[in-house]
Amino acid sequence: MKKKNIFLIFTFAVLAILGSCKEDFLKVAPTGSLDQSLLQTKQGLDALLVGAYSMIDGVSSQFGSGWESTASNWVWGSIRGMEANKGTDAGDQPDINPIQTYTETSTNPYLNVKWREIFEAVSRCNNLITITQQTLDNGKISQADADSYIIQAKTLRGWYHFVAWRMWKEIPYLDETTNVNEVKNDQDVRSLILADLQQGLNLPEDMGAIGKFNKTVSQVLVAQAMMQMNQDYAGALPLLTSAIAGTKPDGEAIGLDPKYGEIFDIENRNGIESVYTVQYSVNDGSGAWNAGAGEVLNFPYKSGGSPGGCCGFFDPTQEFVNSFRTSNGLPLLDFSYNNDPVKNDFGIAIDAPFTADAGELDPRLDWTVGRRSIPYWDWGPHTGADWIRDQTYSGPYNPKKQVYKKSQEGTYTDISSWTSGYTANGYRMIRYADVLLLLAECQIETGDLGSARDNINLIRARAANSDGWVKNEDGTNAANYVINQYPATGYPFDTQANARIALRMERKLELGTEGHRYFDLQRWGTDYLVTELNRALAYEETMPWGTALYGGATAGPEDATYPIPQRQIDLSLGNITQNTGH
Amino acid sequence: MQIFTNVRRFALLILSMVLSTGFLLAQEKTITGTVTAEGEGPLPGVNVTVQGTTTGAITDVNGTYKITVPGPDAVLVFSSIGYQNQSVTVGSQTAINVVMKTEVTGLSEVVVTGYTTQRRRDLTGSVGVVQPAELTAVPTGNVSSALQGRASGVTVLGNGQPGAEAKVRIRGFSSFQDNDPLYIVDGVPTQDINSLNPQDIQSLSVLKDAGAASIYGSRASNGVIIITTKSGSKGVSVSYNVYTGWQDPGKGPTNLLNTQEYADLTWLVNKNDNVPFYNPDGTQVINPIYGWIGNATPTLPSWAGNTNWYKAITRVASITNHDVSMSAGNDNSKFYAGFGARMQDGIVIYTYQNRYTGRINSEFTFLGGRVKIGENITGTYTTSQSNGVSNLGEGSPIQMGTYRGQPIIPVKWTGPDFQGLSHLFTAGDWGGTGIVAQLGNASNEVADLTRAKDNFFWNLRLVGSTYLDAKLMQGLNFRSTIGGTFFSQFTQGYTFITYENSENTGANSLRIRTDYGSDWVWSNTLTLNKTFGQHKILAVAGYEADEYGIRRGTDGTRGNYFTDDPNYRTLDNGATINALGSYYDTPTTLLSQFLRADYSFMDKYMLSATVRRDGSSRFGSAYRYGIFPSFSAAWRVSDEAFFQGVTFINDLKIRGSWGTMGNQLAVSPQNQFYSYGGSASTSFYAVNGQFSASNQGFRPTRIGNPDAKWETNVTTDIGFEATVLNNKIGIKLDWYQKKTKDLLFNPELPGIAGAATRPYINIAAMNNKGLDGELSYKDQWGDLGFDGSVVLTTYKNNIDKIANGVTFFDQSGGTTRIGTANRNMVGHPMSAFFGYQVIGLFQSDAEVASSPTQDGAEPGFFKYADLDGDGAITPADRTFIGDPNPKFTYGFNLSFTYKNFDLSTFLYGSQGNDIFNWNRWWVDFWPSFQGQKSTDLLYNSWTPDNPNTTVPKASNTSNFSTNTQVTSYYIEDGSYLRMRTLELGYTLPEATTNKVNIKSLRVYLQAVNLFTITKYSGLDPELGGDDRAFGSDTGNYPLVKNWIIGLSLNF
Repeated sequence: MKKKNIFLIFTFAVLAILGSCKEDFLKVAPTGSLDQSLLQTKQGLDALLVGAYSMIDGVSSQFGSGWESTASNWVWGSIRGMEANKGTDAGDQPDINPIQTYTETSTNPYLNVKWREIFEAVSRCNNLITITQQTLDNGKISQADADSYIIQAKTLRGWYHFVAWRMWKEIPYLDETTNVNEVKNDQDVRSLILADLQQGLNLPEDMGAIGKFNKTVSQVLVAQAMMQMNQDYAGALPLLTSAIAGTKPDGEAIGLDPKYGEIFDIENRNGIESVYTVQYSVNDGSGAWNAGAGEVLNFPYKSGGSPGGCCGFFDPTQEFVNSFRTSNGLPLLDFSYNNDPVKNDFGIAIDAPFTADAGELDPRLDWTVGRRSIPYWDWGPHTGADWIRDQTYSGPYNPKKQVYKKSQEGTYTDISSWTSGYTANGYRMIRYADVLLLLAECQIETGDLGSARDNINLIRARAANSDGWVKNEDGTNAANYVINQYPATGYPFDTQANARIALRMERKLELGTEGHRYFDLQRWGTDYLVTELNRALAYEETMPWGTALYGGATAGPEDATYPIPQRQIDLSLGNITQNTGH
Repeated sequence: MQIFTNVRRFALLILSMVLSTGFLLAQEKTITGTVTAEGEGPLPGVNVTVQGTTTGAITDVNGTYKITVPGPDAVLVFSSIGYQNQSVTVGSQTAINVVMKTEVTGLSEVVVTGYTTQRRRDLTGSVGVVQPAELTAVPTGNVSSALQGRASGVTVLGNGQPGAEAKVRIRGFSSFQDNDPLYIVDGVPTQDINSLNPQDIQSLSVLKDAGAASIYGSRASNGVIIITTKSGSKGVSVSYNVYTGWQDPGKGPTNLLNTQEYADLTWLVNKNDNVPFYNPDGTQVINPIYGWIGNATPTLPSWAGNTNWYKAITRVASITNHDVSMSAGNDNSKFYAGFGARMQDGIVIYTYQNRYTGRINSEFTFLGGRVKIGENITGTYTTSQSNGVSNLGEGSPIQMGTYRGQPIIPVKWTGPDFQGLSHLFTAGDWGGTGIVAQLGNASNEVADLTRAKDNFFWNLRLVGSTYLDAKLMQGLNFRSTIGGTFFSQFTQGYTFITYENSENTGANSLRIRTDYGSDWVWSNTLTLNKTFGQHKILAVAGYEADEYGIRRGTDGTRGNYFTDDPNYRTLDNGATINALGSYYDTPTTLLSQFLRADYSFMDKYMLSATVRRDGSSRFGSAYRYGIFPSFSAAWRVSDEAFFQGVTFINDLKIRGSWGTMGNQLAVSPQNQFYSYGGSASTSFYAVNGQFSASNQGFRPTRIGNPDAKWETNVTTDIGFEATVLNNKIGIKLDWYQKKTKDLLFNPELPGIAGAATRPYINIAAMNNKGLDGELSYKDQWGDLGFDGSVVLTTYKNNIDKIANGVTFFDQSGGTTRIGTANRNMVGHPMSAFFGYQVIGLFQSDAEVASSPTQDGAEPGFFKYADLDGDGAITPADRTFIGDPNPKFTYGFNLSFTYKNFDLSTFLYGSQGNDIFNWNRWWVDFWPSFQGQKSTDLLYNSWTPDNPNTTVPKASNTSNFSTNTQVTSYYIEDGSYLRMRTLELGYTLPEATTNKVNIKSLRVYLQAVNLFTITKYSGLDPELGGDDRAFGSDTGNYPLVKNWIIGLSLNF
């Protein structure tokens, strides 16, 4: 009986111990993450600000692969603008196929990734504003510091909304007080976007960091938004006039790089030409996600003898290449360049002889496009079909501007992933030539044709600097480059209509494959966009590889925007409705 | 009660006296002896009777008996519940000692259930029992795949990867997130049973319904599998089992092209696509491999190989398994030790898994038998090399090697030096897609696997518990168990620079990942086991504390190694840091009280009630606790008076249960918290323009939901169990319905809400209905013995709700190139296939013109059904095109014994499941990358001259009407019947083995996976995958034929 008591006492003692530690035992704090309260310091806000800027490349491992949403817009701006086709082979990334044939539906996954990426960026800005306000209320930062965070957050927020506006126009606008469950896309958000962007005009020139927005950058962004959204050229003109005398975000001077080809060298990513470059970093422990992951597909396919080794995407169109034809050093503004197409090596074996086109060409062609027998950075002459993944599908050309030099492999390319196409070649989001051309555009639209011509001629003069041309190993020019400035009088700066044509051609030649083309066409009006795209399509379809790529495709007025992703319409439970025309 | 017994004894005494009087002077004699139970010592209460008479005796507390028999011909029958009957002919003996063997089947079997054991005849819940021998019948080496077809209601999908854990689902699905059953090994909950050596298992029970499982409350929802490992028995015994054999990869796919056929197909595609054979200037259009594209019989280059890539990456692989077990015991202690070594090579070259297990179980009884203290511990050391060979997945060597490598590519370069695209190929180099253009982008998998042969993984896992069991008073026991798991693992992977591919790796790198983790449980129970006359009560009350998911680790990659020498592979030897991180998981704590009471009256009427209250740290304070009750009842109809006339039914019991079970696995322990964080890949930015560094940035990482609570499923089960025809036939049938409410789901938030991790909320609902059936038959005809059983499993899953305004979500099952093939939608089962219905191929331009508008339509391409009749093929025309859930699955177990021979076979089948054959996307469409293609595409595809076919035109067009959509073209019937094992054994006669002091010696030959009957065209129809997107064949690691020879030896 005594033993029995011992057991019972023991049992109840055990149960008593168990009962006593109940509540605390079930409270387990989260590990490895931060509570919001820990961020309410200057350091915390700095990091949230970096987080908001980090979306400017359009790439985060949270979404897709990067190529759907990258800031360089090679799909949405360039392929859609007929500067290039998808490249690679027919079945690779098939979601791009309908985008390049203007048959994309609202269920296209590329659209959804782009949308999600943009609005994650907006959400980070709003979060920063909210926490900045809390930190200020707690007295942990000064009013001046708070203003700086909030101005930057709003400027970024304006930019991200503007990127969305160019894609879809009928977008919801979100600020830090918006209820995401109720917001609709039924209001005109242009003034809200402009108001946000204009906050940036209060920023200083020297932000102490090349990767932040400063006053000059903000001036350009506001001007771009005014032009794109409101055709407000008069409003944009003074901003751009001021911007060309501005500085980079680190306070350094901006201007034209004397040599066109140098602009795209990774070394010069933050060079004099760069007003704002999206900063890419390699081997930074991100697993290449910060290393231009969005452009990783766009390298020639010949491994070992050409850069990247993957994946053969983004092959320029013949129509685009032809537009570099010059006559007496000037472009053929009546599109007659297609009557004298640039010779290519389609279907010609790599060991068969090939002589490149001997006609007059704008030297910028060979910094923009890789084509047979022309030296390709320091990789030697392009050898033709072996650089192309499937010439019968995507034609004979490769892209070039985003490509790294052989001597930069391993230093300015990331070594941590499956290809060396991850580079530090930050996307030149705003370069000086672009600002000059935007300014020239405003001048044309406001009737100052002379100044417009002068600005365009600055750019042509730079392109005409033969030190900046692609050279053969023996120092001779790689092709028959002939480029001149527009004459001081007469055609094409004789009428506003002609000047427009010249400006528009100059943007195509100067900024080709840099992601602007489709959005430029959009700015120039739906009629112009439809005509121009159909003209290019009709020509490209006559190429031996054109049928498989474009067979029967035409563009219509609805193609001036993209459909809002169906997934987002569904998830909004009726608050967001489809774009007009889709 | 006592009076009744005494009266009965008295009556028996009188009766036996009367009956025996007549023989009193004959050869009547008295026999004495001791009855012991195998491994347990003296067995009291055994009935000893003289066959054909009513003479009987019962063994006393020391297991001894005394009985008078009529003569030497008399046969004594020893019987006791839970043991096999034994018969002994008296002969000249006067002392007969008998060792009783535990009955392994039948009603008197003891079944381990939640926190207790019960006789099978007393069960009120639905419990499946798998015999230890069944767990080792197929030499898979792991418990999960051995469960296939052995217990009704359990669906198991395995694969052929060495040591691969199979997917185990009990009665369908009850969660979108996690449907793994809870495993309890010797009282320790675990989610890893792969490291357990099946040889060490004594018993395995599957608790299926709420009546059986809800004592595990919040973790019971997916069913509970209770495993008890072997314990020592009295005396000393040692056994050794060994088998060795070969796994034969077989032929692989038979529908792929050889090199010349591939060249012919290239010509066919150009012809079909009207690619001009001449350039505008009259020169020939050249294909980089075959020259002029107009050549109808393309000529092959001199370097052309004719590689069968499946053959090249596979081999006949060996498998060897040793198990030694030792058992010893006396009245006060029991001891068991088991050691196993299992070495299995994969059929893919350079892959293997070696597993070494050791177990020590012991128990000590003291204080006059009142207190027992014991422990169970097992250690498993596993080392393996999977080499990127996952079961399913693009890029795994099975997928890439088999379906993506062009046959023309030689495995190794043998010819003269050749300036390839990527490299100067010299004899002995690896061949690859870098030789010339248009060889595609598949890696040379033989090269990759060979280079990676020094990669490895090891894992050390300890699982154990120690317990104290004290008898507080007669029928009342207190038991306290402390147990847990500890593991540590290490993975090393080295990536090589490659030169032979079209897409090469430019830098070498080393990744090392190491972590440790643990969990523990402390449970305390009071068990009351009392019989009052015809009333029997078994009650358990318990209190349990649990912590699991404790884990930390580091993961680092550095690159640019000076040399690839395996001895140089340390992280610090890499020149650059590619990635460096660590993780620190948030553990989960659980605190529980539970109570179960079983009551039976006259062994006929049984009632049981269970309630468990769980508190979990995964939920916010408002919903931290959940209460899970269940009730069950059973009625032994066959014991009723009115049933006595029904002689062919020996036993019939009807059962029913109702109860609730919970699940919390769906939510992260962090689900209730809002949190911020950041990583280089999501929120860092080189704001200062650094080339190779970036500034730290933060973002919202998780949106918290403090109001999440338990998933609850309500299960109803009705069943019966019967034995008929002299106990030869056993039948068991259960109907069940399992409804999950408050199902945790993380609905996708609108993009404008940002991309922080979405919270789980209790919003969805689903249900499962089905039948579980088991039928067994056992007989003996002279020397021929037969034992057979059929196990049937069915479930019908239906999603009832997903979220407000959300009727479906799509999930990718690896069919990444054309969007998701699986849609989980209200009114449909989990993982159903969703896409366009192909109704044929367009035959003419006229047909295209007269059909509903369809992007890319042209003769020879797919024609889709216009289901909404709006005259255009739009996303609204997509429909459910298949269902990977089987109508039923079944297992057949047949075994025969004849004298010393035994022959057994086990077949498993699945009926009515569809497969999404993703491999067809790669091989039946020319533009689906330049990889291997099918003979269908070459010989059977649409041309104007071959219009009656289902295979579309061979064309380089990739559009809506060819290969960019999910369509019914890929759906195949995945039903199959597979002979899992066929085994022939021979046991040496005892007379022979006894001479050398061997108790028994058996040798056997075994064929595993001897045949599979299926219409499915891929490598293997048995496909697992994510529950929300399974049944897609994205490069399955097939189960292949094994040939095994084995020996078991007992001392």
